[in-house]
Amino acid sequence: MSQFYQVFFEETSEHLASMENLLLNLDVNDPSLEDLNAIFRAAHSIKGGSGTFGFTDMTSVTHVLESLLDRLRKEEIPLLAEMVDAFLEAGDILRAQLEHHQGGPEAEADVIASVCARLNQLAVGEAAESQEQDTPTETTTSAPVRKIRLSCELPANQSQVAESVDNLLEGLRDIAALEVKQRPDGTDGHLIAVLTTQACDSELKDALAFYCAPEDIAIQPEVEEEAYGFFDDLGDSSATDTADIGYGFFDDLPDQTPSVVPVSSADDDGFGLFDDAPGAPAASDAPSGQLAEVAPGDSPAAIEGIGYGIYVNAPGGLGLFDDAPGAEKILQNSAPPPFSGKTAAAFVEGVGGAASSAQATQKPSQADVGRRLPDNPSIETAKSGRRDNDKTVTAANTDTSIRVAVEKVDQLINLVGELVITQAMLAEAASNLDPVLAEKILAGIDLLSRNTRDMQESVMSIRMLPMSMVFSRFPRVVRDLAGKLNKQVEMKTIGDNTELDKGLIEKITDPLTHLVRNSLDHGIETPDKRIAAGKNPKGTLTLKASHQGGNVVIEVMDDGGGLNRARILEKAKEKGLAVSDSMTDFDVWQLIFAPGFSTADVVTDVSGRGVGMDVVKRNIEGLGGRVELESSPGFGTRTVIRLPLTLAILDGMSVGVGGETFIVPITTVIESLQPRLEDIRTLAGDSRMVHIRGEYLPLISLAEAFGLDGEADITKGLLVVVEAEEGKAALFVDELLGQQQVVIKSLEANYRKVPGLSGATIMGDGRVAMIIDVSAVTRMGLSQVKQRLAA
Amino acid sequence: MDYSETTGVAASGEYLTFTLGAEEYGIDILKVQEIRGYDAVTKIANAPRFIKGVINLRGVIVPIVDLRIKFNLGGETYDQFTVVIILNIGKRVMGVVVDGVSDVIQLSSDNLRPAPEFGSVLDTRYILGLGTVEERMIIVVDIERLMTGQEMALMDAAV
Repeated sequence: MSQFYQVFFEETSEHLASMENLLLNLDVNDPSLEDLNAIFRAAHSIKGGSGTFGFTDMTSVTHVLESLLDRLRKEEIPLLAEMVDAFLEAGDILRAQLEHHQGGPEAEADVIASVCARLNQLAVGEAAESQEQDTPTETTTSAPVRKIRLSCELPANQSQVAESVDNLLEGLRDIAALEVKQRPDGTDGHLIAVLTTQACDSELKDALAFYCAPEDIAIQPEVEEEAYGFFDDLGDSSATDTADIGYGFFDDLPDQTPSVVPVSSADDDGFGLFDDAPGAPAASDAPSGQLAEVAPGDSPAAIEGIGYGIYVNAPGGLGLFDDAPGAEKILQNSAPPPFSGKTAAAFVEGVGGAASSAQATQKPSQADVGRRLPDNPSIETAKSGRRDNDKTVTAANTDTSIRVAVEKVDQLINLVGELVITQAMLAEAASNLDPVLAEKILAGIDLLSRNTRDMQESVMSIRMLPMSMVFSRFPRVVRDLAGKLNKQVEMKTIGDNTELDKGLIEKITDPLTHLVRNSLDHGIETPDKRIAAGKNPKGTLTLKASHQGGNVVIEVMDDGGGLNRARILEKAKEKGLAVSDSMTDFDVWQLIFAPGFSTADVVTDVSGRGVGMDVVKRNIEGLGGRVELESSPGFGTRTVIRLPLTLAILDGMSVGVGGETFIVPITTVIESLQPRLEDIRTLAGDSRMVHIRGEYLPLISLAEAFGLDGEADITKGLLVVVEAEEGKAALFVDELLGQQQVVIKSLEANYRKVPGLSGATIMGDGRVAMIIDVSAVTRMGLSQVKQRLAA
Repeated sequence: MDYSETTGVAASGEYLTFTLGAEEYGIDILKVQEIRGYDAVTKIANAPRFIKGVINLRGVIVPIVDLRIKFNLGGETYDQFTVVIILNIGKRVMGVVVDGVSDVIQLSSDNLRPAPEFGSVLDTRYILGLGTVEERMIIVVDIERLMTGQEMALMDAAV
């Protein structure tokens, strides 16, 4: 079994994620039934899976969750904003529990209990209300579907096998809404069920044909609802009803006592039906007995006892309840809180009052049936619809995607990387061949290089994931934070489908979360401030991803107050950073990336401790990316993150310096040119600058930077103008060798990080070439300039 | 890292001996991945002089250390007889340049004499002992400790 755990973990995480997504997109005022059903399905799948694997803690939480969801999707109760909150919390708990099962820390029991209690409360608290609301709608329920009673005798060999009965019922559920009244078992093969269906008799018989002979099947219109009212669907809600009646006892009304008699008799009558159904009689005995005992006590706890009593004393009943959505109701209804004190009384009035009337046997049942009737067709059709959906969805998933371990993909990528190197090696060897004599070989090598490139691209694309993987978590973050900060924030995402390497996706999440939190906490103002500033009280936070050249650009934009230049400068001075009032905005914004820098007055649990922006910057630079900030006071802030498309492959320009080959990432290269001596100027004596089209760029000799014997004569070499985070610079190299795609190899794997180099690669001739970290080299060059200026 | 274990275990077993100048050294053979000739290396910027650079070992970038430079033994010639011993230390692969590989010998801890304490270039911490085989003195080096040591600068300080 344990080998399936991983699958369960993955699937459950997916279900949780999709559930959260759906919840966040749910319009509280007008929830779409489809979404509610989808959420329910997700919860249901988690429940099913966790049950299968014996993770009972998860099962119990989902169970509670499911009950409330079930009522919602049946439109028994209206959706409230607090329910969504409770669902989200429940989702968090499930995730924590899931992590616990994967070896993480244990989920906090009291949190679980409180959330479950809240869910229960929401489900039950609404129950009384909805009951009253729904009763009048009874008349509207005469749907085109008909309600029929089906009874048949299963042969012993069928009825003894639980699975076979399950299959049968499942088959029936596909065509009809099913309420099992008597489930066949080993001793008695009689199946009685009430079906709400549009299918005709012959269809039903067809469905059962596999299990029993058609002549053993009796189908008649369901009439006895009136008589046996609350027991008509024992599997579904008899327990609820019993509980409901039970509450009649505790009503403070004076006619409380008379109600006892008819109700008990109702019990007997009703359950009498099921006399030959094992489990059911136990259930019927238990409540009536207990009802009598409990009545004087008038205590909610005792009521709870009844509710559970049905469960506990009726082991057969458990099986019955398992499939029934109504089973959850029992739990809800018997949960103590709502029934204590006045709520209980209020809740009881509708049912209990009716029960106490002369026609006690029928009245409550009518009320109940009334409440349930409208639901039944819609629920059950929804349910069968769901099954169909489930099937198509799973089928589609299995057809179009497979789960593969990341290592396998990485191995493939490595192999293709080697292939690219080999291909380059071949191409280089062939370049010396006489094109006339070796025409075919050369054509083949051309083809090979095209194919390897295509192959490399498609292999790399396996690792590519859409940005929506990251963005999808933010609606939740924004929602929670906005609630906590009392701000109104709308979140927009643009470019969800922009693809990014999986490794980058994973690593970009934390920095992005930080930026989003920052925007919410410091950027977007409170509604009253916004109104005062003449803005929409609802702030907007936009996440945008796009491709720009070889980069993926991720932007976090808010329409908040913007950065406060004066504040930042003031804080920077306090912290002893070298600042001046005449700094450019760009430089001022960069200050907030300094470690420990925070302009927040109050340290909250959201942010303000000043750890973060420096970490954000470090993380992103670690990924080979860079961060820029733009801000305008009163209009908002924009943080731009530029990331390389992938960490594994790079388009590079190979340059020769002192006999060694270096790779300059092509994305940083602006142009290459041959310098003229008159363009070279010196600064403060010896720092060289080059004058290119009106710009003075620092000139950095790679030979000097890397301690090599390079070309000394500036006019014999070449300049490669690069743009890095710090600005433009001109790199002085001996020669340009070519342009090619290189596979990045880590230097750190067997050596250590080398300043100025971001890695190494293997060239076509098998030699190792170093990849230049342009920002670092530029920084090194600039700092040299600065040192000299300072000296 | 805890080296006490390696020190204890490596005290007896098979050793690969190689020459550096006139001296003969021995290292635990289990740390040796392969022996190959000296190829052109790619220099690494701002590295200590004894780190010759990196080579491409079947797609893996491997740093090469010249122990002759490290131990100040002179004779830094690189010809067809110069040998690189590729070591597998921890999860890392690295190569050392030596003058020649001579033998694989069996040494038990009885044959090992502690090295006298005096200020040699090679810190005695890295010497497991001195072994004697047929009048030859073999300096048995704790190669793992040596290569992962700070002064070799082969790793990031944090590692």
